Order: sequence, then C-alpha cells, then structure tokens
Amino acid sequence: MAEHSCRGERDNMAKALKINAKDNVAVLLGDVRADETIDVTTGQEELHLKARQDIAFGHKVALVSLKTDEPIIKYGEEIGRAQEAIGVGDWIHLHNLTCRRGHENQE
Amino acid sequence: MKGPITMKIFQGYRRSQGLPGVRNAIAVIPSVFCANTVARRIAEHVAGALAFCHPVGCSQVGLDLELTARGLKGVGRNPNFYGAIVVGLGCERFRPSELAESIASAGKPVETVVIQDEGDTLRTIEKGVILASRMAVEASRQPREEFPLSDLSLGLKCGGTDATSGLAANPVLGWVTDQIVAAGGRAIFTEVTELIGAERILAGRGKTPQVSDAIMRTVGCMENRLSAATASREVRHRSALISPGNEDGGVTTVAEKALGGIYKAGTGPISGVVGYGEDPAGPGLYLLDCVGHDGEAVTGLVASGCQAVVFTTGRGTPTGFPGVPVIKITGNSGTFDRMRFDLDFDAGRIIEGAAIPDVGADLLEKILCIASGEPSRAELHGHDELFCVTRI
Repeated sequence: MAEHSCRGERDNMAKALKINAKDNVAVLLGDVRADETIDVTTGQEELHLKARQDIAFGHKVALVSLKTDEPIIKYGEEIGRAQEAIGVGDWIHLHNLTCRRGHENQE
Repeated sequence: MKGPITMKIFQGYRRSQGLPGVRNAIAVIPSVFCANTVARRIAEHVAGALAFCHPVGCSQVGLDLELTARGLKGVGRNPNFYGAIVVGLGCERFRPSELAESIASAGKPVETVVIQDEGDTLRTIEKGVILASRMAVEASRQPREEFPLSDLSLGLKCGGTDATSGLAANPVLGWVTDQIVAAGGRAIFTEVTELIGAERILAGRGKTPQVSDAIMRTVGCMENRLSAATASREVRHRSALISPGNEDGGVTTVAEKALGGIYKAGTGPISGVVGYGEDPAGPGLYLLDCVGHDGEAVTGLVASGCQAVVFTTGRGTPTGFPGVPVIKITGNSGTFDRMRFDLDFDAGRIIEGAAIPDVGADLLEKILCIASGEPSRAELHGHDELFCVTRI
C-alpha cells in the first residue's frame, strides 16, 4: 500500500462489490485506471487490490488468479469460463471470458 | 414507510368479472393487418380509443397463427380495457368473430365491423367511429374505486440491462414482487431466452415438483431453439444472445444477464408456468413462456392480464404499451439524469448503500400512484412500441 499512502488518494479509491461469498470477481462501482487500488466490499473482510488495466463502472475485476477454462463465478453461480489465464486485478470481459450456453452446436 | 403493506390500495375500474383495470380505454383491434388503417382512423377519431395495429392474422398456419390468436385475444381481454371494437377485413384466417367472442367472454362490451361487409373504408370507419364513441361515453361515466393489493397483477420485465440492473433495479423490484405476492396479488416474469444459466435456481423455487419440471423444460426448449437458430456457419455473426449495450454496460454472457435478471422475481415460490396468452390460475408468482424481445414479452404479459408492467433498465429505454402503464426504473443514476423524462424511478441510491426495503417502499408507492391514474413517463409521451405479437 506504500504507493497509496497519500490521504487524498485513499479517499478517491475506486470501490467494487463482491456480490456473493463464492464469487471470484467483483463489480466496479466507479471507473478505475490501471495501477490504481480498488477497495472491494465483500460483506466479510476488507480487500484491496490493484487494477491491472483501466476498468469501467459496472465491469468486473478478477479477485483471484484463474487458469484457462476455470469457471468465473458471479452472483454465486458460473457466468462463463476463463478463455486464457487471468491474474488478480485483471479486467474480465469478452476478451477473456467465454460462455457456451445457447451455442451448443458451435465450436 | 407509510402503513403496513397489506393495507395498501390503488384506485381502479371495476369489471363485471376478474381483476379491476387501472386504465379505462377502448381497444380497437384489427383481426388482420389488412384492417390496420381502418382501425387506426377509428381510434384517431375517438378520444379514449387506442388502435392495436400489427402485421399478422392471415397466411399463417399452426402454432404461429395460434400465437397470433392467443396474443390478440389476451390483449383484448386485459382488464385495462373497458371494451373493444374488432375490425376485420372479412376473408382472413383469424376470424374477427373468434376475437370478438373471446373478448366478450371476459364480460366486456365488444362491437365488430368488417370491411367487406360494410362496403368500403369510409363506411367501415364511419360505423366504427359511431360504435367506439358510444362506448367511450359509457366508459367515461365509470368512476375509479379503491382496490386492495391482492387485485394487482404486475408484469416484470427488463431491457437495456447494464451491471446496475442486477445490483439495484432488479433486487428492489424483487422486494416489491415479494410484497405483492404476500398480499395475495400476482406477479409474472418472462424473457425465457434470458433465463439460460439461472434455470436450476428457478426450478428450486417451484411450488411443486411439476412446476420445477415445467421451468426446466421451458428454459431447455428455448435454449435448444436458440442453439438451432445460431448453428449455421452463414449466420454465425448473428449468434450473440445479449446486445452490444449489455456488454458495454459490463454484462458479458447470457448467464450473467439471467442471474442478475431473476432478482426481479423476488425470493418466493413459483406457482406455475403460463403459456402465451393464458391467464395464471390464481394469485402468486408465475413464469410466462415467451421470448425476451421487449415488445413480444410486454405484449405477452398484457395478454396474461397484467394491468401494469414494471420495466428495469440500466441503459435506459423510452418505450411504452397502449393502455397499460410501463413503469421504468433504473439502478443507474447517471442514466436517470440523462433520461429524466423517460424514466419513472431512480433506484441508484442502492449502489450508494441505501437499504432495499426503504427504496422498495418508495417504488411500491410510485407503482400504486401510477396504477391509480398518474401517467407513467411512457404514457406522457404516447409511446406505444411495445405492442408486438410474437411469431415462431
């Protein structure tokens, strides 16, 4: 946290919400820039992590690292699978998440 | 909160049978698209009359024609209409008499004009205007009366979803759904194309094992339909199950949309699955078997007897339905500020930490005000795009 010890920056820290205890992503409640710290509300412990890219309001950030094809969990349920390795603080969106539901015949 | 939920009331119009209406319009419904212009001219001429123009009613077969019939009949029977004028051409496959008899079976006044019987456009419009005017005068004499929450049937819908829909707008609507169902009212959700990924959770809420099976079957059939429709290489570029706006708003997959979407159906048991154009068997929470297209889904909800539809939207949409308030709520305060004259309720303070029951109580008040006669934003602007008969 050394790089974010300045009080003003702490007040401006972007917030994110982990909706369900099982989730491995959180939803950004404001825009965040790459390398800024995100303050994640989990309902249990305080969690801080550094955004690895710019992430927009409403978009998702990874709370743990994920291997290719591991399930991405939001609302306590699988919303898709990792298309590639994903690191803590990575933006999760169409470029690294895939969902086959409704597309059974496609490869 | 101003008093207990069970004491809540709204001001509606008594009907000779079934639930009361929250509006009192005359529906002018063509049995076939060939009668659209005549129907529109009749409605334009009479204050309080609304035309339901559509592109169907002939040259259809099987389930497709049956869905047209069920949709038009269900809309005509909706409690918000005092009565109806059916406008036919005369040679169409969907007979005007079938439509008129179904509407009359709900205890409403119905008149029928058929272009080939009357002679021509002018004669049919003249006769239709006289009949509709007479009906509109009768309707105008009817006062609003008080009705309990148990007489409300609320449609639940979302459109233009973003990430706030699953965090704020749908959860607060779910709170309202739970209150209405607990009070003995009914609530209906649909958009089966957008329940994929949430079907096991919903099936777990079935009131009986038969209802749970029906939920799994309904979502399974829709998923197969979508898979088949997107299987061909030729249309692979048309295979997205959610819209670009959903994606820009942070929603990436149909499962993510579904899991955020089902919050609007609250937390209680699901009493049954209703077919398109069918009324639910009684009070409770029901799933309507219909696609997620905003127009087809809202038309389905109206055809299943909903007097009002609450529509959550993160991206913002102005659409409405003739004669049925479509109440827009958003969980995105930025969208509310931008689209102030299209949206009825801002649930964005939930994102800032406001408690869902506090915001929910305000939303319920808003719904009851609109049910009692306050125009929704979509009604103020005359939006009517959501009338749209489903096809297969």
